[in-house]
Amino acid sequence: MHIPENYLAPAACGVMTAAMVPVWAHAIKRVRLDLPKDKLPMIGVGASFSFLAMMFNVPLVGGTTGHAVGGTLAALLFGPDAACIAVSTALLLQALIFGDGGILAFGANCFNMAFVLPYLGYFIYQLITRAFGGSEKAGTGIRCMAAAIGSYIGINAAAFCAAVEFGIQPLLFTDSMGNALYCPYDLSIAIPAMMIPHLAVAGLIEAAFTAAVYAFVDRTAPDLIYENIRSGKTPKGISHIPVFALMAVMIALTPLGLLAAGTAWGEWGAEEIAEVVTNGTPLGYTPQGLLNGWSLNVPLPDYALEGMPETAAYILSAVIGASLLIILFKLFSLIPARRKV
Amino acid sequence: MLPVWMENTDSYVPPGGGGTFAVKTIRSISAAVGKLQFQQGRESKPFLPAAARLLLLLALILLLSLSRHLLVLLACTALAMMALAALPPDRILSVWKSALAAALLAFLVLLPAMLLRPAGRGNNLIIIWKIFISVQMVSIFNHTTQWNRITSALRRLHVPGVFIFTIDISLKYIVLLGRLINDLLTSYLLRAVGKNKQKYTSVGGVMGVVFLRGTEMNRQMYEAMVCRGFTDDYEGL
Repeated sequence: MHIPENYLAPAACGVMTAAMVPVWAHAIKRVRLDLPKDKLPMIGVGASFSFLAMMFNVPLVGGTTGHAVGGTLAALLFGPDAACIAVSTALLLQALIFGDGGILAFGANCFNMAFVLPYLGYFIYQLITRAFGGSEKAGTGIRCMAAAIGSYIGINAAAFCAAVEFGIQPLLFTDSMGNALYCPYDLSIAIPAMMIPHLAVAGLIEAAFTAAVYAFVDRTAPDLIYENIRSGKTPKGISHIPVFALMAVMIALTPLGLLAAGTAWGEWGAEEIAEVVTNGTPLGYTPQGLLNGWSLNVPLPDYALEGMPETAAYILSAVIGASLLIILFKLFSLIPARRKV
Repeated sequence: MLPVWMENTDSYVPPGGGGTFAVKTIRSISAAVGKLQFQQGRESKPFLPAAARLLLLLALILLLSLSRHLLVLLACTALAMMALAALPPDRILSVWKSALAAALLAFLVLLPAMLLRPAGRGNNLIIIWKIFISVQMVSIFNHTTQWNRITSALRRLHVPGVFIFTIDISLKYIVLLGRLINDLLTSYLLRAVGKNKQKYTSVGGVMGVVFLRGTEMNRQMYEAMVCRGFTDDYEGL
């Protein structure tokens, strides 16, 4: 679901980034008010889970790949505002270090995965648990089910937003030949191409991932669940070792994400897009924007380095990414909150 | 019967600004000494014995500097980042500060080469990255290992005793002499009334006293060690 560089027109990227700025400002302000200071460094755990979830590529129908995002999970752990910051930071790392998602498209990616996904997912979760008389009354089973449904709807809404962003590009930006400058597929192709795989496979994986990790954290470290943090009924001195152990297991399993061959829909490189077959006909041309577009030389493109065993590089990328996120959020917790005047 | 001059009330008001020099110096010295004492290291539960960690650190730095394979660089980065992520936030900040300072210095040194020969920029950036990771690893080690464990680890690795002795004693005496300077300046401050135009003359005095006290402490310590059976062989603390 990461929109790469040059698939969106710079103007579209600007609009999306401008839309995200107030969201980020609001989220940062709210997080400081909502979360106790000792929980701030732990947001990195949510960001790491999201980062790792995005490394597990699964093959989807139609020869493309997809992945879970873990945005709803982060929202369940530390609240939707913290999830917004966590997923945004994970996306920024991916764009800057691993070349996953474009720098210019960062705003659009954040809008889909860090704004729509966690807020909507958490909202649905709250709706369901409230229907059962509040999250305290509802048992673990119901909360896990609510988490699964919330994350399923969240990731599909995010995929829909991405599809719309892809789909309006050819309607707005074309050259004199009538060929699209940026993403060549309009809404009639982009929406089914994004939605069918996400509704059928990726959404289910996101739901399963969210429910499983949520249940695990709920059992081993209940002080890392947003509702418990807010109600202030968290027992002190719970060891977080099981959570980090789970993270280590996930890191060790990331190479499974390499098994899914093929490129995710809408993430082709400039050299392969002309041969992409849609409805039986290849595209036949390379959009100008992709051909002459701007791109950043990232240190670890696609979580790998040339001349290096793919699996080792993938695992090391996962370790570096997850640790960096934890480090960044620990540093974030050091910034003193602005005093109220 | 009091003399007459003692019965009169003086109207002497000392001009402001006296002793600021001493106050400032005391503050900066206290900060430096406090930092040194803080950096003696507070470790929670040692993951590995200090000697093993020291060996690992040396091996990793050697590997990092000698290897040309990027996988090694990536693996060392991953290891360093993992170790760093386990530290508390304030430690992370201080580790990154020193590592970033070293990387910045390396960048400045390599800047002319990078400007003159753009083809080698990739390699130069790798060197800077290696320096960043090496300094980060040393700094993490420093933050997680107590100084007395480092000296005994050095001894176990058969580093000549006189080296450890020198390092150890100088580190301890920096703190001791810092405290001495602090005391001297405090007493100077308490006695200094009014504005002193020649405040820097007192610096010489303070330094002289510190030097004399230093040599005396040195002699006393050596004698005390000999009395306790010191035979010029250092076995660690």
